[in-house]
Amino acid sequence: MPDIFLQFSFADSINQFVSWLVREYGDLFHQLTAVLLTTLLVPLEQALLALPPLLVLLTVAVLCYHGTRRKGVTVLMVAGLYLIGCLGLWDKLMQTLALMVVATLLTMLVGVPLGIMMSRSQRLRWLLVPVLDVMQTLPTFVYLIPVLMLFGLGKVPAIFATVIYALPPLVRLTDLGIRQVDGDLLEAARSFGTTRWQLLFGVQLPLARPSIMAGVNQSIMMALAMVVIASMIGSRGLGEDVLAGINNMDMGKGMQSGLAIVILAIVIDRISQAYGQDGRLKKALRLKKTAGATA
Amino acid sequence: MQGKHLLGCTLSMLLLASSSLSMAGSWCAAGKPVRLAGITWESGQFYAALISEIIRIGYGCQVETVPGSTAATETALVNGDLQLWTEQWNRTDIIKKGLASGKIKLIGDLLQGGAYEGFFVPDYVIKGDARRGIKPMAPGLQTVADLPRYKDLFKDEEEPGKGRFLNCPSGWDCERINTQKLKAYQLGASYTNFRAGTGSAMDAAIASAYERGKPVLFYYWAPATLMGRYQFIQLKEPAYNAKCWPTLQANKGEAPCPSATPATTLQVGVASNFMAAEPAIIAFINKVKLSPELLNRTIARMSERKLSPELMAREFLKQQPALWKSWVPADVAVKVQQAVK
Repeated sequence: MPDIFLQFSFADSINQFVSWLVREYGDLFHQLTAVLLTTLLVPLEQALLALPPLLVLLTVAVLCYHGTRRKGVTVLMVAGLYLIGCLGLWDKLMQTLALMVVATLLTMLVGVPLGIMMSRSQRLRWLLVPVLDVMQTLPTFVYLIPVLMLFGLGKVPAIFATVIYALPPLVRLTDLGIRQVDGDLLEAARSFGTTRWQLLFGVQLPLARPSIMAGVNQSIMMALAMVVIASMIGSRGLGEDVLAGINNMDMGKGMQSGLAIVILAIVIDRISQAYGQDGRLKKALRLKKTAGATA
Repeated sequence: MQGKHLLGCTLSMLLLASSSLSMAGSWCAAGKPVRLAGITWESGQFYAALISEIIRIGYGCQVETVPGSTAATETALVNGDLQLWTEQWNRTDIIKKGLASGKIKLIGDLLQGGAYEGFFVPDYVIKGDARRGIKPMAPGLQTVADLPRYKDLFKDEEEPGKGRFLNCPSGWDCERINTQKLKAYQLGASYTNFRAGTGSAMDAAIASAYERGKPVLFYYWAPATLMGRYQFIQLKEPAYNAKCWPTLQANKGEAPCPSATPATTLQVGVASNFMAAEPAIIAFINKVKLSPELLNRTIARMSERKLSPELMAREFLKQQPALWKSWVPADVAVKVQQAVK
């Protein structure tokens, strides 16, 4: 049978490249890790762990009620978090939360500006879309092992992997939100003589807020899905228990921590969605509801 | 009684005769293939390939390697679907139950001195490495009792003030044992019990530290690929203590007391019916034995050059004739020798 495939493999070159990178720049990256850990991650985690659980629950209650204006949802959210504490997973919850907060902040810091730039340049869009596709579909462990050889085992590579995985929806939705702003509105704003920055911060971003917040919300959900993967490279938190549960055929333990991740996801989801809704829309809904009640 | 004894003698003499002519026993003569479990780690794969090559060429059997997870292939061995399971550590319930029911036997002693495990550091940490310009970082580090003095060397950035001990992933047997050992050796105050998450993450972390010439303290075991590729020094632990060892294995809240992990004899799991049918092959497997140094070197070369275990086994047969010829009768040796030329 004639073989139509040319035989080649770039596995060796990649292996050599990675080990060269580790030898030459591994120390540099490890120092970066140490700086990130000592200045940001460790203090944040210790602060979260030091907070009295009651205070955390209260904060969640206030945030949730302020965002949603619904008592039932607020009570459910707080009860859910309380349940995680009852399962003895509070400390792990805080560790996971610290990881999530940093990963989400980094994602927003990179994602929103990237989305804005993408909405303005067709060429950048051509360039970025395939990159985002690769980031979303490349199996995580393929890049995780090189990343952890560079950054060391633990939280930092976990955060990088999470950012890589959670970035694409935010970039796409920011881009989409800004593009969808009504052209007439932009024209009106320009006719009043806005500068580019005024246009961006006064018109485009506020109007794109629902879309951007949907992106943030999606990013957080994807980041939470990465918690177990993150624990595979030695980061602490709820994922660690899931992994141990799976490895030991201890289904109960795995399920408990798995449910804790789901609860955390729901709480963050509800709160971030509530803040993402357009203010005027929310007001209108509320008015309609009270009008319906009085009628 | 006398008659029976005599019969036994004649039978064994007959068997001896047949084995010296290396005629296949009743299993292979019936055309049944010898199925070996596909092992999931390198040293086991190499042993499987080595044994299967000699059985195939020297004893004229058909051989097959059946891949699968450890639990799956062990179950298949106990059920009689597989005949040989190389590199058995005799740690799992499946094997223990199989042994108790008499369906399988563990034979041989594949590795001189057995497999060993414990706490390791790269050699340059203690001795330095002039070639790479690394000065000794912990010249006084010899035993686990010295570790608290060197906690800053193995600093855990995630928990400053403590050193990092790189443990096995959660859920592995060794993870539980090491966690108990940290308590027994009173290292809890100076070291974090850092679980790697997965075996590949653990290997990558160690390899990365070694390539960069940085200090790292970790649990490891031999035979293993990393052991052959890099030079590690095992820290001395308090001697094996038969009373303390169970307190390290079980995790039922009793206070653990110090003990090194005893060496594990690496054996071959054999289905009992195959064992009865092929005494000549069993006699050969009983003799297979490598030195740890040779085995580590071989599997390191196998993974570096990305050779298949079969190719590596053939190369080994070519290069170590004196060794393997002592395992088999002369006529088998001739056949194998001709085949690998």
